[in-house]
This record gives sequence, C-alpha cells and structure tokens, in this order.
Amino acid sequence: MIQEPFAIGGSPLHQTDPRLKIILATAYSFLVAVLQGFPALLTALVLSIALVAIARLDSRALFRRLGLANGLILFLWLLLPFTFPGKPLASIGPFALSLEGVRFCAQITLKSNAIILALIALVATSPIATLGYALHRLHVPAKMVLLLLLTYRYLFVLEQEYERLARAMRMRGFRPQTSLHTYRTYAYLVGMLFVRASARAERVHQAMLCRGFTGRFRTLKTFTLARRDWIWPFAAGCAMSGLIMLEWTTGWH
Amino acid sequence: MALIRLDGISFAYPGRATVLERADLTLREGERIGLMGPNGAGKTTLFHLIMGLLKPDSGRIEIFGREVREEKDFESVRRQIGFLFQDADDQLFHPTVLEDVAFGPLNLGKSREEAQSIALKTLEKLGLEHFEERITHRLSGGEKRLVALATVLAMEPKVLLLDEPTAGLDERTKERLTQLLKGLDLTYIIISHELDFLMETTTAVYAMADGRIQWDEEVKLHRHIHGHRHGAYPHAHE
Amino acid sequence: MHISEGVLSAPVLISGMVLAAVGTGIGFKKMDFNRIPQTGMLAAAFFVGSLIHVPIGPSSVHLVLNGIVGLLLGWAAFPAILVALVLQALFFQYGGITTLGVNTVIMAAPAVVCYLLFARLIHGRQTVSLTASFACGFLAVFLSAILVGLALISTEENFFKVSSLIVAANLPVMIIEGILTLFCVSFLKKVQPHMLPGNQPLEAAAFTNSPAGPPQQ
Repeated sequence: MIQEPFAIGGSPLHQTDPRLKIILATAYSFLVAVLQGFPALLTALVLSIALVAIARLDSRALFRRLGLANGLILFLWLLLPFTFPGKPLASIGPFALSLEGVRFCAQITLKSNAIILALIALVATSPIATLGYALHRLHVPAKMVLLLLLTYRYLFVLEQEYERLARAMRMRGFRPQTSLHTYRTYAYLVGMLFVRASARAERVHQAMLCRGFTGRFRTLKTFTLARRDWIWPFAAGCAMSGLIMLEWTTGWH
Repeated sequence: MALIRLDGISFAYPGRATVLERADLTLREGERIGLMGPNGAGKTTLFHLIMGLLKPDSGRIEIFGREVREEKDFESVRRQIGFLFQDADDQLFHPTVLEDVAFGPLNLGKSREEAQSIALKTLEKLGLEHFEERITHRLSGGEKRLVALATVLAMEPKVLLLDEPTAGLDERTKERLTQLLKGLDLTYIIISHELDFLMETTTAVYAMADGRIQWDEEVKLHRHIHGHRHGAYPHAHE
Repeated sequence: MHISEGVLSAPVLISGMVLAAVGTGIGFKKMDFNRIPQTGMLAAAFFVGSLIHVPIGPSSVHLVLNGIVGLLLGWAAFPAILVALVLQALFFQYGGITTLGVNTVIMAAPAVVCYLLFARLIHGRQTVSLTASFACGFLAVFLSAILVGLALISTEENFFKVSSLIVAANLPVMIIEGILTLFCVSFLKKVQPHMLPGNQPLEAAAFTNSPAGPPQQ
C-alpha cells in the first residue's frame, strides 16, 4: 500500500548524489516559498516542470500526488476570494470575489505546485533508505537518523500487522458505521497496533544490544560526488540567482 | 573448558509463575546441543538470561570462565555469543542488508572498510552474494532468516544460540540452513521442535520441563525418518 | 491537519522551524539511545494509524491520534511526530521541507500539552480517568486546529474567516478523537498498562527486566 513509485529510474536525477539533491531541494523550496511576484513564480513553476521532465517520472503516479496537494488549494480557492476584502472582481449571487483574494490564491497555487514538483523530482528520486544515510553524511545527529531509519524500516511490518487485525475484525462481521461500537472497535484496533508495536520495539532493542550496541550509531554508506554531479549546483545557482533577480526587478504587482 | 555454565538459576517474570527453578547447564567447547520442550518451558528465557537481557532472581552465570552479573559484564558476552532471534524481522532493523550485516562489526570497533569487507564475506559464505543492496522489508521469510544469521555470524562469535531457526522455512531453505550449520566451526545450542533437524545438526538433545534442564541420559533419541509426498524421503505406510 | 507548501509566509515558517527544533531537542534529551526503538516503533504506528479512516455520516475522516501519542511518549512525541511527518512528505508529498517545522509544532505541541495536563489523571478513579482520556483526545485536535488557524492568520490577516471555518469543521473530528482516546486508554490499561504514563518512567534503564512479559514461544 505504501510505495515509493519514483525512487527507481535511470534518469540523470536518479543518479545524482542524494546529499546534493537534499541540499538543492531545501534551498529551492525556501526560495520559492518567499517569492511574491508573478514573473518569478511562473518561472519557478517552469523550472520545476523541467526538473520533472529530466527525471522522466511516471505521469499517473505524479498526477495522483499532485491531486492530493491541490485538494487543499482547491478548498482555499472556494473560500479565500470570498473572504478577502478588496476590489470586487465579480459576483456569484450574494457573494463577491475580490481581486486580492484571487491574486493570493493564484500565488499559492503557483508556489505550492512549483515546490511540490521540485521535491518529487529531487527527493523522491532516491530511495528513502538512501536518503536516511545521506542525512547522516550531512551531519544530521545520529539519534535522529537512527530514529528515521527504524521508523521507516518497520512501517511496512506494522502496516501488515494492522491489515491482519482489520481482516480478523471483518471476518467477525465488523462493518464500519457511524456508531459508538465502530469507534470503540477502531480504538481497540489502534490500541492493539500500539501494543504490538511496543512489544516488537522491545525485541528490536534486545537484538541491537545483542549485536554490541552501546549507544554509538555508525553507518557504512558513503557518497562521493561524481564530476558530472557538479552541474547541478552550478545550474541551481544560476536558476536561483535568476529568480531572485526577477523578483527584485519586477517586484510585487 | 566450559564456555557457559549456569548454576542454580531461578527466574520468574514479574507477577507470574516461576519459569526456571534452580536450573543448571554446562556448555563445553565444540558441543552442539539441541533444546526441546513445551511452549512456555523457559527455553527462550534461558537464552535471554545468557545474553544478559534478563537478570536471574538467584543463581550464578559463568561465561568464558568469568562470572557475569552486571550490564557491563554482559557487554563483552554479547560480542562473543551470537543470538539468532525467533522472528527475523526483529533482528533486521536497517533498511538495507549490507548495513544490517555491518552493524555488528561496526559496534565491535571495526573501521568502515573492515566492517564492509567482513559483511560482504559473510554474505558470500552464506550464499547470499548480491544481497548487499536489497531492501530488508522486501525479502522473503527464508531470505530474512539467512540474512539474520549473517548479521550474527559477521561478529565472528565463539558460541551461537539459535531460537527456532527453522520455523516457517520451506524444505529447501531448511536443508540449506542445515548444511550451513554443519559446516560452521562453532559451538551452539539450538532450540527447536523439529527432531529431524536436530538429528542432523546436533549431537545431544536436552529437554526442558518443570523449570529445569534434563540431560540426555533421560531422553533417548530414536532415529525415525518420516516422509510425506513432499518430504526428502517420500514413502507410504501400510 | 497539515499546511501545504507555499501558503505560509517566511516569518511563520522560520518560527515553526525554531519551535520545532526546540521541542525536538528537548524530546531527544529526554530519550537516551535505548529508548529509540520504542519511539521509532510508536512513530511508525502513528504513521500507520493516521492512514486509518472512520466513517462519520456520509463521509469519513482520517484519524489524528496526536493525543494518544502524547500520552505514550511525552516529550518524545516531538521527534516521533517529526519523523512521521518527514516520512509522510517523502511518501505522499503531504507537507514538505519548508513546512516541516510548522506542521511538527501543530501536531506535537498539543500532544505534549495534553501529556503534561492529563498524564497523571489517567490512573485516577473511573470517572476521572475516562474524562481525562476524552479530554486528552479532544483537546489535542482542538489545539492543533487553533495552531493551524494561528499560522494562517499570522501569514495574512484575511485568513481569519478561513481559520474559524477550519476550527469549526474539525469539531466532529475532535469528538471522535475524544471517544477513540477514551476507549483506547481503557484498552491499554487492561492489556499493557506500563505503556501509559505514571506506571513507568520515560527514561528506562538499558538493563530491562522487561515487564512486557515472556517472549512468544
């Protein structure tokens, strides 16, 4: 059920050093998040689409991901233009759309999609396990990396445990409805999930102790920058300076 | 030389009935012992006590000639005794196989290069070449069991404790495991319900009952090859 | 209860990061290496739990579960929720890098607040315990909704009406979470009471005489 549809592939982005991709994704996200002007935002969106094209991603999976994120944005489109004070643009019945509201929604839409597309192209093109080890090489504290790797490792195990529990419930005739009985059943399901998780955690801890773990966490995987990887910081540097320049000159209209 | 000696060990889980009642056990170098007994007899508990995951209520534990009591003592025990857990998923806690197998050697203080080469060599010895980059949660049950064994063997232990190593394995993987164990130059104790497997891999079988370990003078092994259509020796009974 | 990328202003994003860093730092300080498996496994359970949806009238809502997670982990809920959010962003692109801080605070701060308020009351008399459990689940979601509103309004004053709508729309979720937490806590009291606060300190020694009981044989 939980999958990594973009992690495997042969595109140049799939083969780039993941440490580089993490740094670029972070820098780019933060830059786009603070842009205001439409020329800059549109350019950012185009750049992100270019990244996705380079990554040669599966379009169906891509649109499904975008659909999720844009759901919230759609919700904002339905509300913000009507609740924002400002110059009235049009009216639907008794409700008036304001120019400011529409403008704000348009900004958010461009920003959001530019960032999400870039994130998918840069970060989702490496397996999460690899990203975890890359974070360790980027000097993220060992406790955090270990926590991330462990949580990731056991997601699928716990998902299967939950499926087993839910199936057993259904075999006993449980059908979800809006009722107290349903909520209590789900509460017990969740409780059982936590109990099993905790028991397994105990065993995993014992396994770690038995393999000599005394608190110091070290990982094996190292990354080395290939020569062709250097094109990315260079291109990103140009792109981001370009965006900043655009923003500076065209400003907020 | 006795590698492991348990003298008069008693243990009960908090709030529950006694599991071990003044149990004794001696394991000498080169011995290969099977341990059988009903569920709840305390077999896994025994292993936990040897590894220091549990503290006995009374009695004395001596490992490699030294008495062990505190957590500090057991740190050295864990570097020299390997414990294969019942559930392989509990033992494979890294997302990738190579990192999992290298975890032990890294904790022993090896450098990254040494740990990597030990891990690769161990995988090769178990016939698991090309498993390095595999994702642990996507392995099959049998593969997980073998990789878990690799994670333990990578530490080059002197003694192995195996808890139900054949549970859930198909015939082919069971056979592979049997051959692997026979080929190892190690002292070990195997908990198992499968007599046929123990016959192949051990020289004496102890039984656990009433909180104590009974020597094989009281347990006579009968050689009985039993086959079904799918077994190694298919036959029919009249 | 996530705010997606591109909605919030820079000051809000930065405050979120700072607060999340502080909370996570405290959480890690109270969690020695031996507690990481517990925290990680419960974070994974929290992740799986958040995928569960329960019916309400004609539609369904996803579980939030930050109240229970707060009770079970205390301050460690911060790093646990942070990690769960990172994984949600990586798997579903639900949230992202810039909003990681804010979204962590939105989920984890109420969890910790409810832990501090209700942890001791869980083991009281029947009526006290049940009320505290319900309040814990209810309040955790309520505070999260308030924080979402606050983040939005701090970005742009005109988000006020939208924010009020979000809080109001989450009222049924608050009630469901309250009910769920109530039953879940009573379940845990019967089955595995040492998981609940007040029965075992958060920092447990490495040398565990595991109260979890004998291994499955």
